[in-house]
Amino acid sequence: MSATKSNPSEKAAPQEKSFVESLQGFLASIKFAIILLVCIALGSILGTIIKQGAGPDEYLSLYSEGTYRIITLLGLNDVYHSPWFFALLFLFAINLTLCTLRRFMPILKGDKKSSIPDESAMVGMPMNFRGRGDVNDANLSSILKGYRCTYSGPEGMIFQKGSLSKYGVLLIHTSIMLILIGGFVGLVTGFKGFMVLHKGEMKNSITIGGEQPHEKPLGFSLKCKDFQVSFYPNGAPKDYVSTVEVIEGGQTIFEKQIRVNDPLNYKGIHVYQASYGKTPSLVFNIGGERVTLKERETFRKDNFVMMPIRFEQNIHNFGPGVMVVYLDQGEPRTVWFLKNIERFNEKNILTVPVRLEDVHEEFYTGLSVSKDPGVWIVWAGFAFILFGLYINFFIYFRRIYVRNSTGGYIVAGVAMKNKEVFKEEFERLRGRFNGISS
Amino acid sequence: MAFHHKILGVVTLLYLCLFLIHVIYFAARKEKIKTFMWFVLYVTLGLQTVGLILRWVESYQIGIGHAPLSNFYESLIFYSWCISLILVVMKKRLNYPSLTVFGVLISLFLMGYASISPSVDRNIQPLVPALQSNWLHIHVLTCFLAYASFVVSFVCGLLYITPWKKFIPPQETLDDINYRSVIVGFPLLSAGIITGAVWAHYAWGSYWSWDPKETWSLITWIVYALFLHARLMRGWKGKKIAILSIIGFGSVIFTYFGVNFILSGLHSYAT
Repeated sequence: MSATKSNPSEKAAPQEKSFVESLQGFLASIKFAIILLVCIALGSILGTIIKQGAGPDEYLSLYSEGTYRIITLLGLNDVYHSPWFFALLFLFAINLTLCTLRRFMPILKGDKKSSIPDESAMVGMPMNFRGRGDVNDANLSSILKGYRCTYSGPEGMIFQKGSLSKYGVLLIHTSIMLILIGGFVGLVTGFKGFMVLHKGEMKNSITIGGEQPHEKPLGFSLKCKDFQVSFYPNGAPKDYVSTVEVIEGGQTIFEKQIRVNDPLNYKGIHVYQASYGKTPSLVFNIGGERVTLKERETFRKDNFVMMPIRFEQNIHNFGPGVMVVYLDQGEPRTVWFLKNIERFNEKNILTVPVRLEDVHEEFYTGLSVSKDPGVWIVWAGFAFILFGLYINFFIYFRRIYVRNSTGGYIVAGVAMKNKEVFKEEFERLRGRFNGISS
Repeated sequence: MAFHHKILGVVTLLYLCLFLIHVIYFAARKEKIKTFMWFVLYVTLGLQTVGLILRWVESYQIGIGHAPLSNFYESLIFYSWCISLILVVMKKRLNYPSLTVFGVLISLFLMGYASISPSVDRNIQPLVPALQSNWLHIHVLTCFLAYASFVVSFVCGLLYITPWKKFIPPQETLDDINYRSVIVGFPLLSAGIITGAVWAHYAWGSYWSWDPKETWSLITWIVYALFLHARLMRGWKGKKIAILSIIGFGSVIFTYFGVNFILSGLHSYAT
């Protein structure tokens, strides 16, 4: 665990290092890693203290104008997408790569030429003992159960266990790189948008938010066949279900019920149940003709123009009502209709008798639509990092040297971690060695 | 009052008893008391498990069946359960009453707060759609076991820097237990964040949306990553490591409580 102490750049300390070399050394140093991680943590804290992604009015109600200018200048209103935060992550990626390479180059290169240390070195190790007599290969493999012989020569043998754990840190660091790369891929090639669908409505594009909201075509259409919302007896929402058809090239590809926690997936695009709402459908009888209008939907016939402009669920306890605007010789005028009150649900607009016959509220579904091709890279990173953490912390590397010596043999053990446990195991091994050779 | 509430009430009293047993141990210093303390802790953990299972069963009886991991009350009780579980699992190393007394005290506080505070809703509530997922179990379990491991690390750090050396385990032991609890907690926290991210991908449409809870869990993760690197790569030991473990736990507490009460976000189930 002391790889930094034995790295070549520190050994070569007496020589003057060029600026580039020392910069390279710094970029790959654990010190730089710690500085960067602390900066990333502090930046993230800022992002949770200062409200993110709000409008200017909201900031000005919280902070002075000067503070607000600083906030926008430093991108503190969107910390996690600000240039300096990306720069920190980028530097971290470089540092992580260099750090990992520097640490693992010796292991990857040098693992092959393992040799048994000479007798004096073995006696100097914290765990060793001498035995008399002979041990043969069959004996050794039965004593050292679970160990693998990695070297065998005339002077002795090397046995190892848990070699995998040496690659734990490499795997963890590589996984973090994978997660960062996956995040970057998603950022560059993915998108996230929103689509509102009324029952029966079909759309082929989504709205992408941000500073300049715009529409983005999907390449296929979604049609909302049904939307249901159910509640628990206490009024809390229980389930939102949108029944959606995927339509491409005029053909229905398939139909799916989208729920929270159960998105639709088509061609790498995920469609999530995000929200819902209600819009009123207003049924009017206009001069004997039944017309269903939504809010802000204009009705036009000859010179007659009207539009329900505002719907209220309950007006002064008189029940649902709607404000209608119409044109009287080019001048806009308004009139209220109250659905449940006689005389107020029927009025003459100009000379046309208009009656508000019915109001039904219809649900619409709010779907969040996103594509993230980087997600599989991130998933791979997640799987590898868990495996890496496991082998790094819970598999212990042990090495046992057995060297032939005059009149017997000498055994020494090396452990990097969890040394006390290995000491106990080594004592047991010593007992077994003695049992066989005596 | 539901039956599981009565059982959990007894559990709270048992935590109080456990604390008193510790006090008696500090006064009398008899090994037998220590053995008895562990016995009572086993009983308490067992009874608390029964209480949680009964709450689970009762939720099915009233037709909104789900694991008791969904609101603030349930999370407090589950946290105290996790702390006791970690104490029992690490019993061999944690056989120092000056360490376990803190675990028991924190559990007593959590249980007491859960059952007394007027701001905590103790009823079984139905699951909102976002929580209706099997990821709930593994996500909450890994996160809270991590939080519980960090309690052990925090107590070791705290005892390390206290001036009363007489009553506490040797400093090397504290340092060792501190490190060991972090190597248990860190992979668990990683697993908690990862299961949360995968779940978020399916429920919210994005595996990482810089929600305050997510962000603070990342900050906590960074603090413990620094802890491990400082110790393993820079050879930090003793006081510096103790202080890092205290900072780490501060971050854990903020991730668990602070985010819910101070910051608002997607994760506001537990208030």
